Amino acid sequence: MNSKSRYAWAYLMIAPTLIGTLAFWFWPAVYSIYLGFLKSENFGLVNHWVGWANYERLFKDDEFWRNLRNTMQYVVLFVPATIVLSTLFAVLLNAKIKGRSVYRVIYYLPQVTMAAAAAMVWVIIFAQDYGLLNSALGTHIAWISDKRFAMYALVIVGVWGAIGFNMLLILAGLQGIPRPLYEAAEIDGAVGFRRFRSITLPLLTPTLFFTSIVLVIGATQIFDSIYLIIGKTNVALPAVRSLVYAYYQNAFIYYDQNYGAVIVNVLLVINLILTGIQFLLQKKWVVYD
Amino acid sequence: MGSSAIAKRRSNLVIHLILIAGAVIMVLPFVWMILTSFKTTTEATQIPIQLFPSKPSLRAYTDAIKQSSFLHYYANTLTSAFMKTLFPVIFSSMAAFAFARIRFPGRGLCFFLIISVMMVPNPVFYTPQYLMMSKLGLVNSVTALWIASLVSPFATFLLRQFFLGISKELEEAAVLDGCNPFQIFRHIMLPLVKSALVAVVIIQLQWSWNDLQWPLIINSSPEKLTLSAGLATLVSMFGTDYPVLMAGAFMAVVPMLVLFFVFQRRFIEGVAFSASKG
Repeated sequence: MNSKSRYAWAYLMIAPTLIGTLAFWFWPAVYSIYLGFLKSENFGLVNHWVGWANYERLFKDDEFWRNLRNTMQYVVLFVPATIVLSTLFAVLLNAKIKGRSVYRVIYYLPQVTMAAAAAMVWVIIFAQDYGLLNSALGTHIAWISDKRFAMYALVIVGVWGAIGFNMLLILAGLQGIPRPLYEAAEIDGAVGFRRFRSITLPLLTPTLFFTSIVLVIGATQIFDSIYLIIGKTNVALPAVRSLVYAYYQNAFIYYDQNYGAVIVNVLLVINLILTGIQFLLQKKWVVYD
Repeated sequence: MGSSAIAKRRSNLVIHLILIAGAVIMVLPFVWMILTSFKTTTEATQIPIQLFPSKPSLRAYTDAIKQSSFLHYYANTLTSAFMKTLFPVIFSSMAAFAFARIRFPGRGLCFFLIISVMMVPNPVFYTPQYLMMSKLGLVNSVTALWIASLVSPFATFLLRQFFLGISKELEEAAVLDGCNPFQIFRHIMLPLVKSALVAVVIIQLQWSWNDLQWPLIINSSPEKLTLSAGLATLVSMFGTDYPVLMAGAFMAVVPMLVLFFVFQRRFIEGVAFSASKG
C-alpha cells in the first residue's frame, strides 16, 4: 500500500477525536484565557478589552486569597492523610493473609459511589443533634456549620472516598518490588517496620510521589463536596470555599464570566506547574523496560 | 508449632483487626444509607439515635419517585453515560491505533494538541463550553450533557500506550495480505487490546455516572437533570426528611454498585492496568 493512502487512513481515523477535542476542549481552554481580558455586558453580547484589570481586581480581593488559602489547606490535610492510610492498607494487604480480595472490594466501594449520594449520607452522619458521629464520640459538634470543623468534615469525606483507588495504585507498586530483596533483608534480620523503612519505602517512593501529584491536582479542584455538604447558605462557607467554588459562584450565580475566568485561569497556572514537576520527575524516575 | 509460627499468627491477627476496622468505616455510610431509607422521619431524627427501623417501610422510596423527577434523572444519566462511553471508546481506539502504528506527517503535533487538554483543570472549560452550548441553543438539554464528551483525550492517550506495545510481525503479515490500516485495526489490533478497552469502558462509565459540576451548570429544569445534580436538588425539596434523601441516594448508587459486584475483578484490574500504562 502506498504511503499516501496510509496517510489518508490515518487522518480519517484520528479525525473524530482531533476535531472533537479541538472544538470542545482545546478552543474553550484558549477562550477562557481570552475571557480573562474582557469585560462582558448583556450576557456576553458586548465585550470590552480591559487588559489585566480583572487580574488586578482578583489580586486585590481578600476573598480570593482566602479561597486560595482554603484550597491549599484542603490539599495539605487531604493528600498526606490519603497517602498514609492508603499505604498502610496496601502494605497490610500485600501480606499473605486470607480474604485479600474481599478487603479490596470493600475498600473500593466508595470509589464507585456517586459523590452526591455519598455526600448526602455524610451530611446525616455529621448532623449535630442526631448524627451518628456525635453519638459515637459523645460530642455535640456542628461538624458542617462550625467554621472550625467544616474543613475537617470535608477532609474526612475526601479521604474516605480516595483510599480505595489509591490503595490499589500503591498495591500495584508494592507488587513490583522483587521478592528476593525481602528475603535478603530477612536474612540480615530486617523485619517489620525496619524492613518497611529500609526496603519498601525507598522503592515505593516513585509510586508514592506520582500518586501524591495526581491527588494534589485533583484536590486543588475541590468543588462537589463543598457544594453538597456545606452548601451555599452555610455560615461556614467562607472558611472552606475553594477556588472552583468561587469560580462557580462568580460565573454562574453572579453572572460575572470574566471574573470567574480569571479565577480558573490562576488554577490552570497552578496545575501546569504541578504537571511540569510531575513530568520532569517522571523522566528521572521511570525505568522503561 | 514453633514460636515463629505463633508470632506469624499473632501478626496476622493484628493485620486483620486493622483491616476490619478500615472495612467497617468504608461500608458504614452504605449501611447507614440503607437503614435510614427504611425508617420513618421521626425515627431518623430521634435522640438517642435508633439504629434499626422498627417497621421498615418503602414510604421514602415511593415519595422520592413520586415527588421528584427521579425517573427523568435515571433516563438522562443512562443516556449520557451511554453516549460518553460508547463514542469515546470507538473514536479513541481508532485514533490511538493511528497515533501508535502509522507514521504520518503532523502526527506529533496532532497528538500533542489532543493530550495537552489533559493538563487543564475541568472548570477552565465550563464557561466557554456554556457559551458554546448557548450559541447552539443547547442550554438545558440532555444533548448538552454528553455532546462535548463524545471524544476522550484521556482514553486516546491510554489506548495508544497499549497499541505501542504490540509486536510488528502480526501487522506485517496482514499488510502482505493486502489489508488496509482500518482492517488491520479492526481485525488484528482491536482484539489484542480488549482488556484495555474494558478498562476504558469502566473508567468512562464511572466518570459520567458520577459527574456533578457540568450537569449542574448547563441544565436547570428537573426533567433535564442527572441523578447527581438531581440529588442535590432533593436536599432543597425535602430538607430534613432524611429517609427520602437516603432512598434517593441509594437508588442513585445501586446501578453502579450492581455493575461493580458483577465485574469487580475487571474494575480492580482496570485501575492497576491504567496505572501501569498511565
